[in-house]
Amino acid sequence: MAKQEQEVRIGFYVCHCGTNIAAMVDCPEVAQFVGTLPGVVLSKDYKYMCSDPGQELIQQDIREHRLNRVVVASCSPLLHEPTFRSATEKGGLNQFYFHMVNIREHDSWVHTDRAEATSKAKALAQAAVHRVAHHKPLETKRVSINPTTLVVGAGIAGIHAAMTIANSGKKVILVEREPTIGGHMAKFDKTFPTLDCAACILTPKMSDVGSHENIQVLSYSEVTKVDGFVGNYTVTVKRKPRYIDEEACIGCQDCIPACVFKQPKFADEFNEGLGKRRPVYIPFPQATPQIVAIDPNTCLNFKKGEDGGRVVSDKCKKTCVEACGDKNAIDFTQVERIEEYEVGSVIVATGFQTFDARRAPAYGYGRFPNVYTSLEIERLVNASGPTGGHVVMRDGKSEPRSVGIIHCVGSRDKKTNVWCSRVCCMYSMKLAHLLKEHTGAEIYNFYIDVRTPGKGYEEFYNKLLDEGVHFIRGRVGEVTDWAMTPDEEGKLVIRVEDTLAGYVRRIPVDMVVLATGLEPQQDAQDVRRMFNMSCGSEGFFLERHPKLAPVNTFNDGIYIAGACQGPKDIPDTVAQAGAAAAEVLALIDKGFVEQEPNTAFILEDECSGCKSCIPLCPYTAILFDEGKGRAYINEALCKGCGTCVGSCPSGSIVQNLFDDEEIFSEIEGVLAYE
Amino acid sequence: MFEIQRTIKYEADRVPGFGREVMGVPGCEKLKDCIQCGTCSGVCPLSIYMDYTPRQVMALTREDFKREVLGSHTIWLCASCYACAVECPREIRITDIMYELKQRAIHEGVYPRRFPIPVLAQEFTKMVHDHGRVSEGLLVTKLFLKTNPLAALGMAKLGMGLMKTGRFSVKQENIKRRAELAKIVETVDQENLKGKA
Repeated sequence: MAKQEQEVRIGFYVCHCGTNIAAMVDCPEVAQFVGTLPGVVLSKDYKYMCSDPGQELIQQDIREHRLNRVVVASCSPLLHEPTFRSATEKGGLNQFYFHMVNIREHDSWVHTDRAEATSKAKALAQAAVHRVAHHKPLETKRVSINPTTLVVGAGIAGIHAAMTIANSGKKVILVEREPTIGGHMAKFDKTFPTLDCAACILTPKMSDVGSHENIQVLSYSEVTKVDGFVGNYTVTVKRKPRYIDEEACIGCQDCIPACVFKQPKFADEFNEGLGKRRPVYIPFPQATPQIVAIDPNTCLNFKKGEDGGRVVSDKCKKTCVEACGDKNAIDFTQVERIEEYEVGSVIVATGFQTFDARRAPAYGYGRFPNVYTSLEIERLVNASGPTGGHVVMRDGKSEPRSVGIIHCVGSRDKKTNVWCSRVCCMYSMKLAHLLKEHTGAEIYNFYIDVRTPGKGYEEFYNKLLDEGVHFIRGRVGEVTDWAMTPDEEGKLVIRVEDTLAGYVRRIPVDMVVLATGLEPQQDAQDVRRMFNMSCGSEGFFLERHPKLAPVNTFNDGIYIAGACQGPKDIPDTVAQAGAAAAEVLALIDKGFVEQEPNTAFILEDECSGCKSCIPLCPYTAILFDEGKGRAYINEALCKGCGTCVGSCPSGSIVQNLFDDEEIFSEIEGVLAYE
Repeated sequence: MFEIQRTIKYEADRVPGFGREVMGVPGCEKLKDCIQCGTCSGVCPLSIYMDYTPRQVMALTREDFKREVLGSHTIWLCASCYACAVECPREIRITDIMYELKQRAIHEGVYPRRFPIPVLAQEFTKMVHDHGRVSEGLLVTKLFLKTNPLAALGMAKLGMGLMKTGRFSVKQENIKRRAELAKIVETVDQENLKGKA
């Protein structure tokens, strides 16, 4: 190691962070102590180091006191390391002559004894002062940004983000795992609180996406692998076979009525199983792309293969192929394809799933036919739904004369999901309005609290009260068909405490609607791992900062939007999608990112060529030069994890910012404090 | 004419610290988390007879309305079926809280004297304490005599018949070394009182 030629002149600053630190750590005492350490030229405490005057203070001191090292003891480096590095640089020093000590998250916030917390702050500060003397000037590396963006999930969030980016002239690859884009919003009838029809506002956007010159829609596809780093990701996409040549299909749908199944026979996923479809189908009339799909599980031209999968049997008359004629779009030989795409940034907009109402057995979903989920009602009241918007119960004839809507099913419950799903109050009221409009039935809402925090939402609640919808404050105990009075015969009885009236009541109704909550997608954990993101305790993807970086993740270049980050309604989802698109465009427009120079390098003279580091590198960044018999590290791929450094038997791998001198002096520093 | 009553509650009607005390008992802590949703009352098979619903008992306890809670029928009607504790979205052990309140009511002597549940509880523990064993026949007889002697008269014929066939006996059974058991129970009681103090 090169000897420090220059005299080390350290400036130390301890931040009060208002009272966040000062309430538990005696900041002046820490400053006074550090001032006595060798190499420290000045030591100060200050109310808010991150403020403009705080940063100015560092710059001024560097000039006036010829400082050549700076240490700030304050919050987490995650938040303000860039701030202080930039202040150090503006003061005329290399930014890596700065070191940060976290005495907030690591000290004041987690301790209750002021004297001990102050001692800990001193020890940590001493460690940093020891370490910073050995810091070396480093340069950040610029990496260019690929201007293409991957958007995962084509619900309203993915669609809006993709449109925003594409309209700026940048290319977007939009991946959707279902045969059509549109997500949950495509299933909704009306949207609260304005009651504009979901299809009327969504489907034009869907077809715009489908025909946009800058958007490539990969429907019925899934991302399976992501490699690379910010600006330069390689994503692997699995294209599932829909047994239709997407280029050849013109969307005439002649094949559907031609199918050998004269009547639709199989549960229709898009209509929540309330309708029927044929094996060859299009999810709904405005589906995008306008391409049919064949379901191998029900199509007679397939049989069970040896491995349990479906294989072509060629037993069917294939009347669909006949109907397709010389377009020749039906291709039973199609197999899964794997494609690779190069992108610079990713927006994850994978959405949510609704709570499975069977997990709340007291409400009888799956046991009583006339207990419905809210999503089923959305389809039932929808003019293009399975009944053409005619609200009939599962017998297909009778209209409900009374309906009970139970809020918070699978929300605010420690046994299932503890969080409030945020949208159920509003959508329950919307469904209450629609059911009343369609049937004139008596509607009862059973709620714990009515939550209407949004523009025009409280007014919507008032509108429902005016319409004469009953609001009963009480979480329903059970739904039963056990009649206790003659007027309960043949009805579903809701047993509930009317907590405001103060009575336990039994209310017989014809139809029960369960306002199921929102929860993370089944495979959210796999998606999280694939994009190297984090999850909160409930399983939704974690934003970098709940207030200041709501669409960023801890992985640069990966952004999140919509309900995959937490339950939210359409306005908030679209706002977030726009924010994510803006972040992506800012990155593309800047054109490059500066990479932290914490990469490892190999001292060629000392490497013995044992190759033990090569298989250990999680990023396959280490290669072997056969000619020289030495390993070398591809800096562009190295993420600075340090695995190779620790494993090298000859100690010939060094990591910037974490070399032996720096680490050992830091340890000595922390141990030297009594 | 209807009688007009003052229903307002003043601060003097509360017994400050009562709620905190109950919530300090192991098993009752989660009462703090109650969101007053009413699920407990909704599932309770006996809530239809109660003066205060279980939810109201939770609210009154938390707000220190000791007299109202300990004097309520609700705590004595609770059949400990645990339906409320199973369904509570906050996992509050409502049945355990009911037991805690029952104990306190007996301790303070504010329980309904002729209601079978507190009498049964008392006679049961007394019998275990004194003899180390419960003799069911005797216990049931005592319960009837203390709460509803007339009903006991009506059951007399059945009792006689059972006694004749050897299925019912009013003989008190005992365990050996009763003194040692008494010591154990006494120690536990003292510990319990310390907790209540």
